[in-house]
Amino acid sequence: MMALALTGAQMALAGQGAGPDGKIPRLPTGKPDFSGIWQTTSAADYDLEPHPARKDAPPSVGIVEGGAIPYLQKALAQKQKNFAARGTTDPRLKCWTLGTPRGIYYPEPFQIFERREDLTLVFEFGNSVRTIHTDGSLHPIDTDNEFWLGDSRGHWEGDTLVVDVRDFNDETWLDRAGNYHSEALHIVERWRYLDANTIEYRATLDDLQVYSKPWNISVLLYRHREQGFQLIENYCYTLDYEQYYPFPKASAGTDNDTTSDPSAPVAKP
Amino acid sequence: MSTDNVRRARGIAGPLFATALVIPCIVFAQQPPSAPPAANTQAPAPMRWEKTVRTITSGPWKGPRLADGQPDVQGDWSNTIANHNNFTDPQGGIPGDPTVRRPPGPRENRAPSRVSDPADGQIPFQPWARAKQQEFAVGFFNPVKPEYIEPLARCAPAGSPKSFTWHGYEIRQYPGYIVFLFNSSYRIIYLDKRPHLPDNIKLWNGDSHGHWEGNTLVVDVTNNNAKARFARTAEFASENVRIEERYIFDNDRQHYNYVATFTDPTVYTRPWTTTIPARRYTVADKSDGWHYEVPLANNPNGPPIGDHYERICVENNGGFGQVATTSKK
Repeated sequence: MMALALTGAQMALAGQGAGPDGKIPRLPTGKPDFSGIWQTTSAADYDLEPHPARKDAPPSVGIVEGGAIPYLQKALAQKQKNFAARGTTDPRLKCWTLGTPRGIYYPEPFQIFERREDLTLVFEFGNSVRTIHTDGSLHPIDTDNEFWLGDSRGHWEGDTLVVDVRDFNDETWLDRAGNYHSEALHIVERWRYLDANTIEYRATLDDLQVYSKPWNISVLLYRHREQGFQLIENYCYTLDYEQYYPFPKASAGTDNDTTSDPSAPVAKP
Repeated sequence: MSTDNVRRARGIAGPLFATALVIPCIVFAQQPPSAPPAANTQAPAPMRWEKTVRTITSGPWKGPRLADGQPDVQGDWSNTIANHNNFTDPQGGIPGDPTVRRPPGPRENRAPSRVSDPADGQIPFQPWARAKQQEFAVGFFNPVKPEYIEPLARCAPAGSPKSFTWHGYEIRQYPGYIVFLFNSSYRIIYLDKRPHLPDNIKLWNGDSHGHWEGNTLVVDVTNNNAKARFARTAEFASENVRIEERYIFDNDRQHYNYVATFTDPTVYTRPWTTTIPARRYTVADKSDGWHYEVPLANNPNGPPIGDHYERICVENNGGFGQVATTSKK
């Protein structure tokens, strides 16, 4: 029984979600199963809004419905400041948690693990973890939480996963162009399969401190189906100090260690 | 809402840089985890850690299974003996601790070494490696070189085995996968038969491939970057280490032992084994800021369930005047 069950699991992995009949994958509960490794091919992370080619961004018509983000006047000035300083102040450059929704369309894969009660999104960049609760629980009663990824409570409307996200901090950007939000950000996401290997991700962003009205983005996510594809650790922020932690080994000439790779750098004494 | 979660959300719960780190780690060494980490002057409370390691044998799994046949071991877990201060004398504090503490008393009154084989409880280091470990251990309280700062204090993943002595953690299971959500990092165990990653890709948590043998999850860990330390006493492996982990789950569903054998001829004279006992935590437990950082969810229409908030570290890490973030009020 055990062997049979695990073989089934392996087959499910090899099939990477899509059934032979092309139907979308589903949990035993009947709800769509978004489990898999996903990534956008869009240029959304460079700039959500329409933009011509820049040295630091490929051109794109953007993913904002209506073209431009409806900034309040004072907020637009801040956005322009962010844009001017984007080469040094984008939180991505510090390897900080990208936040919601940026992690979804950042050009690096993320993996969804889905159960009846939740979806766990693990991001390769920074190894962040976001849980979308689908167990009927509500946002925490306390209103002073400030999360990098927000607090995500989802429910199903037919085959669409609708997620209400709030309780943000104001540390994250929406893209590399300095589009931003405040702690008042409120997002409603809508996730649905277009086919077994494509998710349409839509989100409505509302923030009375920064935008004059709610606005929408839409991006497609494609399932990674390459053989052997998997997430690989990318803590990113550790790269700056990994040099201080060469794996410890004997200093040259101090002992009879003959098993180490002689071509590897020797730790400084 | 417990203050722990507010703290995590607001940004002072991550491991601090070494100089700032000394106070909380000493408190944890001598006090129960529910003690406030910064309350250095508080009188020590009675030890809540267990002093013995439960025996759990590998055998059939008699508990419930998931739809794919895996034993269902999902939920929250944490170690029962001590935190990550000291690998071979887990309740003995950090050697060289310059702060006067309660005398630890006779060794036999404390929990045994985490090294369960060899019988002397010591890692069989080659002489040069022992010297290096002791240099690092002394340097912990005098971090005059960058490498004396334990990487975890800089929010690096704790790796194996330290992740299992560093805060409580959660196990989530899926067809083909087991996911560990640690306080500092996540780790995916692959249950399919895929090959290991190419040898030149080295990872803090290694590359983990597992399978179930009855009540025991057996995991083969390779591709270790060997940068994480096992404890504040600075034990280590090399990039050539191979770890066979055996997670032996008790059929009482409340306990398991992490039993891992380290084979690394670069550093050790022989393979050795560590045993780290753990127990399950549920919503019946109090959120305590160490083992179980899970407040009750806002679930008015359903049963009591725990909330697992995001765990953020590097963005909130302190040590330089808490100025890591840009706009804190």
